Amino acid sequence: MQCPEALRTQAYFDGEVDALAASEIERHIESCAACRELLQELERTRAVLRSAVPHLRAPAVLRARICAALNKESSSDPSSQQRLRARPAARRPFWLGAASGVSVSAVAAALVMLLVLPRFNNPLIEDVVDAHIRSLMPDHLIDVPSSDRHTVKPWFAGHADISPPVADFAPQGYRLIGGRSDYLDHQRAAAVVYQHGAHVINLFSWAATGRALPSSTTRNGYHLLCWRASDIDSCAVSDTGWDELKGLVRLVQDLNVNDHPETAPGKAAE
Amino acid sequence: MDEKRARFEAEVLPHLDAAYRFARWLSRGPGDAEDVVQEAMLRAFRAFGSLRGSAPKPWLLAIVKNCHMTALSQQQRRAFVPLPADDEVQEEEALISAQADPEQASLQRDAKRTVDRLLSTLSEEYREVLVLREIEELEYREIAAVTNLPIGTVMSRLARARAALKACWLREREANPHAMP
Repeated sequence: MQCPEALRTQAYFDGEVDALAASEIERHIESCAACRELLQELERTRAVLRSAVPHLRAPAVLRARICAALNKESSSDPSSQQRLRARPAARRPFWLGAASGVSVSAVAAALVMLLVLPRFNNPLIEDVVDAHIRSLMPDHLIDVPSSDRHTVKPWFAGHADISPPVADFAPQGYRLIGGRSDYLDHQRAAAVVYQHGAHVINLFSWAATGRALPSSTTRNGYHLLCWRASDIDSCAVSDTGWDELKGLVRLVQDLNVNDHPETAPGKAAE
Repeated sequence: MDEKRARFEAEVLPHLDAAYRFARWLSRGPGDAEDVVQEAMLRAFRAFGSLRGSAPKPWLLAIVKNCHMTALSQQQRRAFVPLPADDEVQEEEALISAQADPEQASLQRDAKRTVDRLLSTLSEEYREVLVLREIEELEYREIAAVTNLPIGTVMSRLARARAALKACWLREREANPHAMP
């Protein structure tokens, strides 16, 4: 009952054939019951696997171990300087080709991200990433678990030096799951915790002290987006993609416009 | 931080979770997988210059596979531990707790365990291509690069792996009709 075309049908299912071959296979499937059935089975198997296999993530401890090993490697790698010098020449044709297209600004943006921002060696940024990684360890994520902004926001009054904007964006895919306080830039910072799919996003806020922050950067594989509004510095950290992270930041910034957060000394509120 | 490190963090490190998942499916326990992934990341960092514009994910997974093979040849074969270990599931779910419906969550957990068990009964060769295609969503030529097989072999092995999983699944459903997704 196995059709000789079964492998081609599978390739069609996996999106591995060009348009011409695809239309041929589609014609074949119309007349071949075995391949029709196969296609259904393939869809079924995929659905079961994708829905049921857990999207395991690398443990935070492993991530930390790898970063430590890379630090050691970077500092003790004499050949890395040489390789660094060799690379720009090797890459030039690629950039020239790309720049001649329409994506000049995208390439420029990518260059800024790759070359300029990561060099920004900023201890505050390192602290923020450490706080994010620490939060992912078991039982460290949330001090006040709630999806209700009227529970989370008042909690910060006694636990952080500012009152951050808090809202549940579940309809937009960012579920508020709670709040936590962290120590950043010599003060009690507020961390509002959102969940997006399987990813945790920490949104840190603290009273701006004038320390410069990059608007976006990547550390240890985590993306960071930072901004300043109403004397509050904020930084969103996650291992989601840039677009997902930007989505949340945009929602929070819109909130800022409507509802100015105030600097509220925690002591006075207690 | 130097430029190489920064580029590595931007291009390769985001695939750490995929590397870990792949290593978990290949190896016999979480501890082994962690060692394999750490070794793979170090090797990837050292060889980063050779990446040159090709896709980082299959490149990294190929290194994971090599490290796994090396580790395997160095150690005694132990019993395969199905993935994920129970404690790990709890840990992950604690992280993203506040499930809307506990009963639903428990049903989902059962279904997940069943599929894990089925996958873990497949041979490593089958499990590998299935995971690379269905979970990590690699293309045939990328799977061929990771597994070091010709594309034709990838296609036929994938077909047999899918058929084997379906057969296991049917057997399981006959034996235990309620626990299936």
